[in-house]
Order: sequence, then structure tokens, then C-alpha cells
Amino acid sequence: MKARRRRALRTLFAYAFIAAFLALTLAPYVWLIMTSFKTRVDAFSIPPKIVFKPTLDNYVTAFLDKGFTGNVKNSLVVTLATTLFSLVFGLPSAYAFSRFSIRGDRILYFYLLGTRFTPVIVIALPLYLIMAKIRLLDSFAGIVVAHTAFNLAFVVWMMKGFFDTVPAEIDDAGKVDGCSWLGVFLRIVLPLTLNGVAATAIFCAINSWNEFLMALILTGRRTATLPVAIPGLLTPQGTFWGQIAAVGSVITIPVFILAFTVQRYMIRGMTFGAIK
Amino acid sequence: MRKRVSREHLIPLLFHAPTFLTLTAITMFPLLYNVYTSLHGYRLAVPGSERQFVGLANYARILEDREFWNSVGVTFKFVLGVTVTQLVLGFLVALTLNSITRGRRILTSLVMIPMMVAPLVVGLMFSFTLNPQFGLYSYLVDRLGLALPQAPLSSAGSALIVLMITDIWEWTPFMVLMILAALQSVPIEPIEAAMIDGASEVQTLRYVTLPLIRPVVVVAVVLRAIEAFKEFDKPYILTGGGPGAATEVIDMFTYREAFVNFNFSYASALSIVLFVVLLAAGIGYWRLVMEGRK
Repeated sequence: MKARRRRALRTLFAYAFIAAFLALTLAPYVWLIMTSFKTRVDAFSIPPKIVFKPTLDNYVTAFLDKGFTGNVKNSLVVTLATTLFSLVFGLPSAYAFSRFSIRGDRILYFYLLGTRFTPVIVIALPLYLIMAKIRLLDSFAGIVVAHTAFNLAFVVWMMKGFFDTVPAEIDDAGKVDGCSWLGVFLRIVLPLTLNGVAATAIFCAINSWNEFLMALILTGRRTATLPVAIPGLLTPQGTFWGQIAAVGSVITIPVFILAFTVQRYMIRGMTFGAIK
Repeated sequence: MRKRVSREHLIPLLFHAPTFLTLTAITMFPLLYNVYTSLHGYRLAVPGSERQFVGLANYARILEDREFWNSVGVTFKFVLGVTVTQLVLGFLVALTLNSITRGRRILTSLVMIPMMVAPLVVGLMFSFTLNPQFGLYSYLVDRLGLALPQAPLSSAGSALIVLMITDIWEWTPFMVLMILAALQSVPIEPIEAAMIDGASEVQTLRYVTLPLIRPVVVVAVVLRAIEAFKEFDKPYILTGGGPGAATEVIDMFTYREAFVNFNFSYASALSIVLFVVLLAAGIGYWRLVMEGRK
């Protein structure tokens, strides 16, 4: 009896601890979302208002009057193109790492891993100078190429894990039936790992969508993505907190929706494939 | 004579080609270009300085640059502070999550939320909470009479702590995930054996579980430390490196030299130094992971 009560107490304590941790974790974020629906008066009221009359004014001002819709479009173009190129380039390589063992592929793997350890600024600065010369600054091509390069390591690492789960006998069967390696890869293995491809695509998209420093350096007025456009709302004349909150919400909410659609693979994606 | 590439090698090489050609063009070539720039005296303000060869002068300048060493100090404090806190907090949360069964999946998903918020938005969120005019923080400090600074972003010591808290907020979930996964892969037998031998729970944790999850924990710590070393977005939006240079981490310092002062060559030299440091860390990580696999 006593042991059972102790265990119940411990479980209760465990839930309480997690609840407290989650409350602390989610509070600042919930606050941001709430601010985005507040009028200026409500946002600045002391004591802070938990209950208030929600308004869409901040969204209307930011996205219709101030042209943040353009930044949404830019972000979408960059994200979609980056995801597409990262997959098209990265998938074959992931497959090769999974299926073939060649001399020097450890070096290739380290090369790939190296891009993950390289600080963005190390590549962004020379890319800026090079792109300034060949007039690629403030172009979609420039930022997409840069984001793709930084996403390849992620695609290869994630997808190698998924390809490894497909038994090699399946490849052999395909070969026997007269498929080329490319045919085996495209027609047999890839369709078997579509879930993985979808999850990888989503995390790739999130990486590109959230990325700030590279976009700050390589984009300009024409191609600025959402994160790059935000600091424009912090002006010497005053900071438009409500609108910042609105843009912040628009950046984060699609990410949650997408991430939860691949919940099964969320841990894998969020730990960069370190955990299967 | 041309070396023949065997047919067995040709196919994998073709599969690897798109990725590695892209990487060579977009990361290796710029990196080499960066080395080239760092050996010259390129400053936007001085026409023709692009072709002025200065040898290692930029690297020599780094050694004497007080602001650089300040940023190194700030970065190390930051990296150490966040990694240790994330490890401790992450370990506690992971242990707790591991001990419950009902609702663990949904709770784990909720714990992950901060990692998905764009880092720039994380910075913004905290500048909301800490805003002296309407922030929740100032209100609570005021209301509850807590012995905390009213405007933590305006004093040097507390600004760095705030910056650390933003990162702890964002990335503790990563530690939780890694450690939780490790805990769940621990086989039950050695733990039961220890219990039967009369070990207390703390002893079991200390002498059985910890050694078993150590490899994963080490990998998580190294990954986090490397990521923290590259911090940029949050100080950019939250403190701008200030007050003074109290929160100017290395990446921000390099960015400022390049895109505020337009000392391209000096910034190149800085980033090469940064790259070498992280490459060393990367090699260390590689050894760790590879030895872990053996």
C-alpha cells in the first residue's frame, strides 16, 4: 500500500514538473501570439491584459498596408525552390551512401558534415563578394543556391537513415528484373521511402523558411524573406510591436502545422537525424 | 595514362555528383575565395584595395584586436553557460518524461515547440517579454517586488544572461530529446540486476544508467556547443551586441566588421579563424561518432 501511494505521489510530481516546465516554455510564445491580436492600447495596458477583444488590425496593417505579403511570397519562393533542389541533388547522394561503399566515401561524408559545422558567415561573406561581382545579389537564384548548399547535408543525413531501412535484397530483385541502378532508385526504393522524403522535405523547408543570416546578407529589397523584413518594423520613430507580433505569428504557425503533420519523424528531423 | 574509373565506382560517383559539385561551387570555392580576400587589404572605402596584397597582416591584426578578444570571451561565456544549463535542465526533464507513460508522446511534442520557432522570432519574443513599457517581465518584477533588474537588457552583466536564457529556452528541448531517446534505449536488465543487488535508485542512475547513455550525451553536448558558438540571430535582434559590446558574440563581431564597417578583408580573416576553430571541433565530433559506432 505504502509503496503504491509513494509511486502515485511520484507520478503526480513528475506531471507537475513537466507542466511547470511547459508553462514556462510556452508562456513567452503565447504572449507573442496574444500581442498580435491586441490593439495598441491593449498591448500597452498595465496590468497586462489576459482577456481582451481580439482584432486583426495588426495583420491588416502589416500584410496589406506595409507590403509584408510580398515578403511572404519571397519566403515561399525561396523555401519551395530550396526544398526542391536540396531533394533533387541530395537524394541520389543519400542513396549512394546507403548502398555503395567506395574508397574515399568517408571523406565525402566528412566534407558534407563540415558544412554543418561551418558558420554561415564564413560562406556568406565570400558569397556576397562573389555575387556582387556577377550581379546575383538580391536575386532568388543567389539565396536559393546558398540555402540549398546548407541543406544538402541535412537531406543526405536524414535520407540515408531512411534508405538504410529498405533491405538491399529489394534492390537486387530489381536488378535481376533488369532495372538500372537509377531505375532501382527511382522506381523501387524511392517510392518505399516516400514518408521519409516528405518528412525530410518539410524539415528542409523549415530550415530555409526560418533562416536569417544568409538571407540578411544575400537578399535585398526585391527578395527579402520574412525574417529579414522584420527588423524594418523597429524604427527610430517607434517600434510597431503589434505588427511585429503578427509577422512573428505568420512565420511560426505554418512551421508548427507542417511539423505536426510529420510528427512521427519529428524527433529525427529535429535532432538532425541523430536519433532514429 | 588516364586512370580508369572502375564501373563499380562510376555509378556511386554519378549519384554523388550533384551534391558534391554543388558543395564545391557554393561552399568550397567561396571558402578559398575567403582565404584569398583575407590576404588582401580589401575595404569598401578604399578603391583598388581589393588587389592590395598584405600577406598575413589581417591575421596579425586579429591577435591585437581587443574587440575580437572581447567577443571571444563573450562567446565562451555564452557557450559554456548555455550548454551546461541545457544539459542539466534537459537531463531533469528527460528523466521525468522517461518516468511517465501516459501522454508522454504529446508532452514530448509540446516540449519541442521552441526549437521550431525561428531564432529571430525567439529574440523578438524575449524583447516583448522584457519590454520596460508593457512586458510581462517588468510587470511581474514590479508587482511581486522581486530583487531582479528592472531593465535587464540595459546592463552588461544581465544582458548576457538574458541572451543565454533565450538560447536555453530555445534549445533545452534538443537535450531533452537526445537524452530521452538514450534513456529509452537503455536495456532493462542491468538496471534490474542493480536493483536486486540492493542499489538505491540514485546509485543505479549514477553507476548503471549514466555510463550507458554517456555516448549520446557527449554527442548532444558537442552539437549544442558548436551550434551555440555560431550564435547570431538572437543577439542581432535582441541586443544588437550591446550594451557596449557585452553581448557581441564572434559571429556578430565578424558581421559588423564585414557589413557595417565594410572591412571585407579583415572580416574574411576573422571568419577563416572561426572556420578553423569549428573544423577542429568538427574533426573531434567525427572521431567521437565514428569511435562510438565501432
